[in-house]
Amino acid sequence: MPRPTPKSITFSIDGREVQADENMMLVDAAKLGDVEIPVFCYEPKIGAPVGACRMCLVEIEGIPKLQTACSTPVKDGMVVQTQTQRVKIAQEAVVEFLLVNHPLDCPVCDKGGECPLQDISFGWGGGKSRFIEPKRHFEKPLALSPLIAIDRERCILCYRCVRFSQEVSEDYQLVLHERGAATYVGTFDSHPYVAPFSGNIIELCPVGALTSRPYRFRARPWDIEGGGTICTLCPSQCNVHLTVRDERVLRVLDREHPGVDDGWLCDKGRFAYQAIHADERITAPMVRDGGVLREVPWERALEEAAKALGRMKGKVGALVGGDSSNEEAFLVQRLVREGLGSQAVDTAAGLPADALHALARPDLQATVPDLEFAHTVLVLGTEPVDEMAIIDLRLRKGVRRNRVKLAVATPRPSSLDPNAALSVRYAPGGEAAFVTALSAALFGGEVDGPARSAGADADAVRSLAEMLRTGGGDGGPPTPGDVVVLYGQNILRGGPAVAPALLKLAGGLNLAGRDGAGLLAVPQDTNGRGIAESGALAGRGPGYTPGADGARDAAGIAEGLQSGDLTAVLLVGTDPVRDSASPVAWDAALEKASMVVAHAKYLTAGIAEHANVVFPAESYAEKEGTVTHPDGRVQRLRPAIGRQGSIRPGWQVLDDLAGRLGLDLGVLTGAMATTQLVEAVPFYAGVTLDALGGTGLRWPSTDPGVQAFPEPADLPAASELPALASPNGELRLGTYRSIWASPEVEISPALKFLVPRQQIEMSPADAEHLGLRHGEQVTVGEGRASVSATVHLRNAAPQGSVFLQTGISDGSANVLEGPLVPIQGRELAAVGAPATSEASDASNASDRASDTDTLAPEPQTPEETHAHESSQVDVTPEGTEPSPTEGAGPEDNA
Amino acid sequence: MSQHLIFKDIDQPGLHTLDVFRSRGGYGDRLKRALQMPREALVEELKASGLRGRGGAGFSMGMKASFMPKGAMDKYLVCNADESEPGTFKDRELMQKIPHLLIEGMIIGAYAAGASRSFIFIRGEYAQQADILEAAIVEAKAAGLVGQNILGTGFDLDMWVHRGAGAYICGEETALLDALEGKRGNPRLKPPFPANQGLYQGPTLINNVETLATTPFIVEMGGAEYAKIGVQNSSGTKLVSISGHVERPGNYEIELGMSSRDIIYGLAGGPGEGRSVKLWFPGGSSSPVLTGDDLDLSYDFDTLAKAGTMLGSGAIIVVDDTTSVVDVALKTAAFYKHESCGKCTPCREGTTWTVKMLQRIKSGEATPMDLDIIASVCEQIQGNCLCVLGDAMAMPVGSMVAKFRGEFEEYIEMARAESEAALLASILPSVGAAA
Repeated sequence: MPRPTPKSITFSIDGREVQADENMMLVDAAKLGDVEIPVFCYEPKIGAPVGACRMCLVEIEGIPKLQTACSTPVKDGMVVQTQTQRVKIAQEAVVEFLLVNHPLDCPVCDKGGECPLQDISFGWGGGKSRFIEPKRHFEKPLALSPLIAIDRERCILCYRCVRFSQEVSEDYQLVLHERGAATYVGTFDSHPYVAPFSGNIIELCPVGALTSRPYRFRARPWDIEGGGTICTLCPSQCNVHLTVRDERVLRVLDREHPGVDDGWLCDKGRFAYQAIHADERITAPMVRDGGVLREVPWERALEEAAKALGRMKGKVGALVGGDSSNEEAFLVQRLVREGLGSQAVDTAAGLPADALHALARPDLQATVPDLEFAHTVLVLGTEPVDEMAIIDLRLRKGVRRNRVKLAVATPRPSSLDPNAALSVRYAPGGEAAFVTALSAALFGGEVDGPARSAGADADAVRSLAEMLRTGGGDGGPPTPGDVVVLYGQNILRGGPAVAPALLKLAGGLNLAGRDGAGLLAVPQDTNGRGIAESGALAGRGPGYTPGADGARDAAGIAEGLQSGDLTAVLLVGTDPVRDSASPVAWDAALEKASMVVAHAKYLTAGIAEHANVVFPAESYAEKEGTVTHPDGRVQRLRPAIGRQGSIRPGWQVLDDLAGRLGLDLGVLTGAMATTQLVEAVPFYAGVTLDALGGTGLRWPSTDPGVQAFPEPADLPAASELPALASPNGELRLGTYRSIWASPEVEISPALKFLVPRQQIEMSPADAEHLGLRHGEQVTVGEGRASVSATVHLRNAAPQGSVFLQTGISDGSANVLEGPLVPIQGRELAAVGAPATSEASDASNASDRASDTDTLAPEPQTPEETHAHESSQVDVTPEGTEPSPTEGAGPEDNA
Repeated sequence: MSQHLIFKDIDQPGLHTLDVFRSRGGYGDRLKRALQMPREALVEELKASGLRGRGGAGFSMGMKASFMPKGAMDKYLVCNADESEPGTFKDRELMQKIPHLLIEGMIIGAYAAGASRSFIFIRGEYAQQADILEAAIVEAKAAGLVGQNILGTGFDLDMWVHRGAGAYICGEETALLDALEGKRGNPRLKPPFPANQGLYQGPTLINNVETLATTPFIVEMGGAEYAKIGVQNSSGTKLVSISGHVERPGNYEIELGMSSRDIIYGLAGGPGEGRSVKLWFPGGSSSPVLTGDDLDLSYDFDTLAKAGTMLGSGAIIVVDDTTSVVDVALKTAAFYKHESCGKCTPCREGTTWTVKMLQRIKSGEATPMDLDIIASVCEQIQGNCLCVLGDAMAMPVGSMVAKFRGEFEEYIEMARAESEAALLASILPSVGAAA
């Protein structure tokens, strides 16, 4: 739905005339007149006000009763009083009521010092209590989940957490039990509250009832400093505020940005900060010596790398990926192209540069808020909750609040299916054919053939086309409305037909140059867009300018290493053995390479095995520079803590290395790197660190940026669609990467319990055909290209395809060779399960629940099994509590 | 001067069956006439009748029906049969003995509201009445009175009975709607009012059982004629449930405007020999109490409002001079504490706090200063809550403390002396023995 255009009105508050938008809630409008009205339950991020806490009672002329300012829309000429005796008495009474059952254990409460209940009691309370009766008691503190502790005595029943669970993340797990003063918050089945966004309730809680278990008793508000930066654990690039004590990050809070994250964080972003300080982190340069990586002084590591690279000039490749900053990507490509005379530079994702360039056209770019206000949103070939988590909440918000029509087209059943007006499935590998079929259904051409090739239902494709074409939704004759296509960039791997078809779709649906409509990519790497734009892209220099001849893309680099055309490789922010689509080829390529220089934070498999020199990389809490959000917003990383160990800034290491190779990059500070980058990338014109500030700058919406964008060449229309292998006794292989499949999750003690294990999702019909049962262990693939997995039956899974996980450290599915995989049953697994899955995908709740099941560890030890049965049990994952003695701190004994 | 309209044939055997009900004029010309009237005309008749809601709030039924938006959309009629107010049992008898009168009233109400789907939300404890209603709906459906094209007029109405799960709060109309939708029964913020966004976000007319059951008579007599019964602003008859210390408790249908003394003493026989009325709740346990001095008040909406109380659901609870006001206050407060949904702060915490203070009075640990706190807590609950449940405790308890403060103070002194004596006896058994 188009964004509403508010009308400005004038109202009076405490005798002051104030201008505000009509129908703004009075609480918010009052702020415009510098009047603060206290609230507890009101939080516009969660949705419509509920008026439960009654803290915001004010007097409005013409209405006999006091009104809740949180739920009263402001009107022209309204006269509001917030300072009358009547209001004062009512507000004091509410504070007194709230404190009736509150333990007032502020001295031992984590929230003390940053607690709205403290602040409001101080500011609006009567100052003394007349309550002398015994207070309500609950057992406390309990683990609501391994990540969240709940103290029900402190709870003031503002409903925020429950509303978040019900109306924002829609996991429907939190409910209120009992009633009246005996009401308490819990999960409906008393299981731990495990969900991708559960941590947000900690921040929503206006008292100390919900606290972070990893943060508990670690600091008081007067011990800490804060620092704003960007979380670079996924392409969402949420704006975060880091809590720092003694140069350690102890907590991550949201730094609300409506254009990026809408004020939410996923649990990975909220808790994986622990990986910054984990022992597994590389904090000093390392050199392979006698087959083993050993820590060495910087001089030696740099010398070692420079010597080898200098010898192999012209034969060096580089891959840049992950959370590498724009500056790092830019300097790496300078180093390789200018210093080492090689054109073998590419992004880790290795997608075709022509397609990336064409799809990055500024007039085609949708913004993140567009997802919330479009008429129709098509989610194509991506699972947002896994690949760009925070977008999942934005899509749900659009559907729930603005009645956005959502269409989902993916091979794997999506967690958004229950919210979607239409869900279409196609077979893994059928991306090109599917987009072609959709384009044909929209603009003419043969639909049935391509749809068949895509393994999709032709009628469903036609319905989808109809929905996109007529999604105007104003009740009048069907008109094309604002359409946003959110596509997983990995669908470009489906062949050269995908990008032209997407462009045709965008052109035909009139998305170009239209506000509120367009394309939005979900890249594989956090800074996928920025890395490509900064020039670490095969055949393109900074800003998609044409590169010199002799370019090699990621696959070409792997081939070159294997064939000996290349002998050295720089791996910056990526481990292709873990992250790339062809780990087997990369394993062989790195094995063959004479010199592998890695810039990494953790010793993941490929780096531990093959790197000759490892430079320790900065985390987002330490790094200075910029990254580019998938919607084109250049955002600024700002260091919040000092670099751990002997880590040096990425730009400094690259400058140093280049210097030893005879190239003066001329970078003496982080800011100089940014300046060089902006000068080199034409459409970053106008970007300065000052201009970026705390909120960033979307270059596709700046005039200089749009004008400077180099016109992409026309993409040749695809000649032929790849044929879809027909499942012939074997099943088609589809893969997905869970939100929890990352080294940070494996390393963070608090999140370890979420580390996914390999499982094979299949439809009950296929399982029956193969004689497999839920929970059974199977081997997928053959020989070296095989993994073992647990069978997970899913009613919604399409027949003929199976889905396995990539990105996990053990048995990742990217070693498998598709498109078909053989599956062989092994002995029955220890954990028995019924022959057909209990998990029905029919409803959202159960779908989510089944997803949760896959995320939670299998109940194998008696302890864990017990934890699943009752939230009363303290499910402490290793290391989430400071220590047994600290864990039983004053609060636990209170 | 007991008036008989709704309860005219109440003692007729088999009145709950379709045949007997029909033989007494049910589903007759009046229904057909209602359904053949233009919708606006029917609403006008209802307005003209001056019928005020019989559930407690006393809002004009015709006005409420006229708030329903026009135009084609899913609209609903909901009958509030969650009769949970202590002392109120009129709807129970009505549904048990004349279920078809309610169904007929709902057809008329639904037609006036433009609704094609209707629900009877009945409290779970009324299992027998729910069974009877369900059987009656089956009968009515078989006779073509509920369903498609009722009486050939082209009006469609479907009807369901939904049993509540035993929460008083579900009698509050928006909590009722949430419960009907399958959610936790908590009141919603108003506005939006149900007439705009009610059940499943659709416009919804919600009325009490008795209100709906009255509409057939309004159609039969004509609104203007009905308005002649009763007094100014309180037209018609009212079912009154009398309980407590009276000789003949039960349901009586009265013409509004009757003297309260005539109801309590005349119809119900008053308290027993040698006792007198100490206090009485005129409209259910949530109405501020009146004393024996107020017995000559006319029993109608305006007079009772002027006396600082309300007619409410029409449930008169009589308390005679053998009962302590402290017990009445504690019993009343404890009920509302137990039934508070917990959504808004003043009600959740205020009812609990009040009960704790009253318990302290009982156990002899209070001082007269606690009465001031009770009064102030009750005052702070009133008007500051999300719905009226908090007021429902604060009003009667507040009125008892105000009107019987002397008795409360006496009780406090007595109970404290008793508890001190007991304490002393437990510490010094010799003192107790000596005494």
